[in-house]
Amino acid sequence: MKAGLRQSMAWLHTWSGLLLGWLLLAMFVTGTSAYFREEISLWMAPELHHSEPSPETPALAWAALNDKAPDAKSWDLRLPDARSPVAELRWQPNTPAAPDSGRRRGEQAVMDAGTGDLLSPRASRGGDFLYRFHFELYGVPRIWARWLVCVATMFMLVAIISGVITHKKIFKDFFTFRPGKGQRSWLDSHNATAVLALPFHFMITYSGLLIFMVMLMPWGMNAAYQDGWRGFFQDVFPRDEATSEAGAPATLTDIAPLVSRTEAAFEQPVRRISVDWPNRDNAVIRVSTDKAPAVTDRRRGGNPTLVFNGTDGTLLERQPGDEAIPGAFRVYNLFVNLHLARFADPMVRGLFFLFGLGGTAMVATGMLLWVSKRTQQLRGKAPGGALRLVNGLNIASLTGLLGALAAYFAANRLLPVEWAGRESWEIRVFFLAWLLALGHALLRPNRRGWIEQLAAITVLWASLPVLNLATTDSHLFSATAWRVGALAGFDVVCLILAGVWGYALWRVVQRRTIRGQGPLPQRPRPQQSMAQDPRSQRGARTAGDGA
Amino acid sequence: MTVIAVTLPLTLAYAGLTALALAMKRHHEAALSAKPPAARLRGFRIAGWVLIALMVASCLRLWPTGLALSMALGLVTLAGLPLVFLLPYRPRLMVRLAPILPVLALIATLILT
Repeated sequence: MKAGLRQSMAWLHTWSGLLLGWLLLAMFVTGTSAYFREEISLWMAPELHHSEPSPETPALAWAALNDKAPDAKSWDLRLPDARSPVAELRWQPNTPAAPDSGRRRGEQAVMDAGTGDLLSPRASRGGDFLYRFHFELYGVPRIWARWLVCVATMFMLVAIISGVITHKKIFKDFFTFRPGKGQRSWLDSHNATAVLALPFHFMITYSGLLIFMVMLMPWGMNAAYQDGWRGFFQDVFPRDEATSEAGAPATLTDIAPLVSRTEAAFEQPVRRISVDWPNRDNAVIRVSTDKAPAVTDRRRGGNPTLVFNGTDGTLLERQPGDEAIPGAFRVYNLFVNLHLARFADPMVRGLFFLFGLGGTAMVATGMLLWVSKRTQQLRGKAPGGALRLVNGLNIASLTGLLGALAAYFAANRLLPVEWAGRESWEIRVFFLAWLLALGHALLRPNRRGWIEQLAAITVLWASLPVLNLATTDSHLFSATAWRVGALAGFDVVCLILAGVWGYALWRVVQRRTIRGQGPLPQRPRPQQSMAQDPRSQRGARTAGDGA
Repeated sequence: MTVIAVTLPLTLAYAGLTALALAMKRHHEAALSAKPPAARLRGFRIAGWVLIALMVASCLRLWPTGLALSMALGLVTLAGLPLVFLLPYRPRLMVRLAPILPVLALIATLILT
């Protein structure tokens, strides 16, 4: 065993990539969709689509909370923003908290921001299911799933580093893509998607590990704190619990003047209002605005806030939200924020979505390359069981997952609205569709399998906007969908993706079968005759352009 | 932040990467069908890096520093992918787009923002 560094790295890259590639692919697809988690959730709750924000929204929410929970311990009100047209109301009932119950969630409701009616959206896990699947999978005990995801992420880091070492001519081949050459083309496209987006891949992998650092490396904390991470978190993120008691009943002041005062003070729209002890004489109202986006910012808090006395509306405190964040925190926040695109406006979010798709393409091309290389080595012989298995799993994890995703969205529109446990049925549809695709792929781990599944997902994704048109009134041809933006965006992205799958299908179908029954859709030769030499091909192209 | 505003750094990145590709002998011959003298390759290399620097500067104008640098890396990636796939199929188009796109983006930015 005296292989050179490059060979051993190539071996490591090949096998770590293959073993965890399928899981990584699922993580990339669901993680990419999670950049639009809220938009997906909104699309999957058509009952909320008609809410229209108005200047009256804070006052309406005030009335709704007074009606719903006048004696609560606290209120928390989120006003509509660019990503959500509804107002979210949360309140903490004034009951003694169960000791050690962890996070107390309280109760919540969704309000139409224009009319003040409380809305009851259909039961659905929406984008949260995909977001959770990204790092916790589903149906596996949470801690096991997280470890599995961590191991996959670590192998991703291993694959990135070993891939860079293996790559012979990283700068010379920076722009190289040689189409129509089977394995060579897959290698080029794997290299192109990997090297060009290397900063993103490294960032997303490394920050993914950082997010789980407490789980991966608990020893320092365990040595310093007797109760491990609980004590650590208590020190690092102190929670300011309201320890006060309820005062005497009193009437709350009007909210509208406080909102306009805050907006005037910070020149930003108000996003969040929270109240301690509403309708008591010790009520405190906090009115917060958006904060300027910053990649090193912390997750919660730090929004510019005005604190008011709840009964007479006098200003108690002005919190500009610009206190300095210590250096180590900033580094940690930088990575976590980049991973979650938390700071991002819709456009930056869209860019991250595209990068996520790029990462998906990198994993997918790598796995197709594995099959392509071994198919080419067969020189026309029938592929063995292992190769067929890998190809089948590739089909199921790529087109199968994409099909299951479309089925999940379709189920949201097709399952009866009033149905006990409908949110778990949506998820069941997702897994049943995926299982079906897996069975199909294992039966047909060949070109036909690819063609049939590509055809299926093209139809499925293209039918989503149509289904939306048939079942809701916030479809592509409605003013509502374009007013909210995210809704029209969802349908348009479905159509674009359907177009991409359709194009892939066309390329696979168009390819003449090379060397008998190749199990893989190698990149089709644009013109059969010019595939021998890249020089002659370019010459032919140039001549063709001139004609 | 409108979509229009980001077209300028994106197209600058595309132009810069195209220049850097043309600074490599192999791609230069394929795209311009001419044997390049070393001086011209160097010229393209310098032009490429200048364009990339301009692109980073235009990012810094759009976003706060930390975000701007992250976005600059991301936009180079985004501009590079179409370039890589245009190069073998439509090398002439790839070269022609390089000067046109940033100008269009600049005009759009000036008019629409």
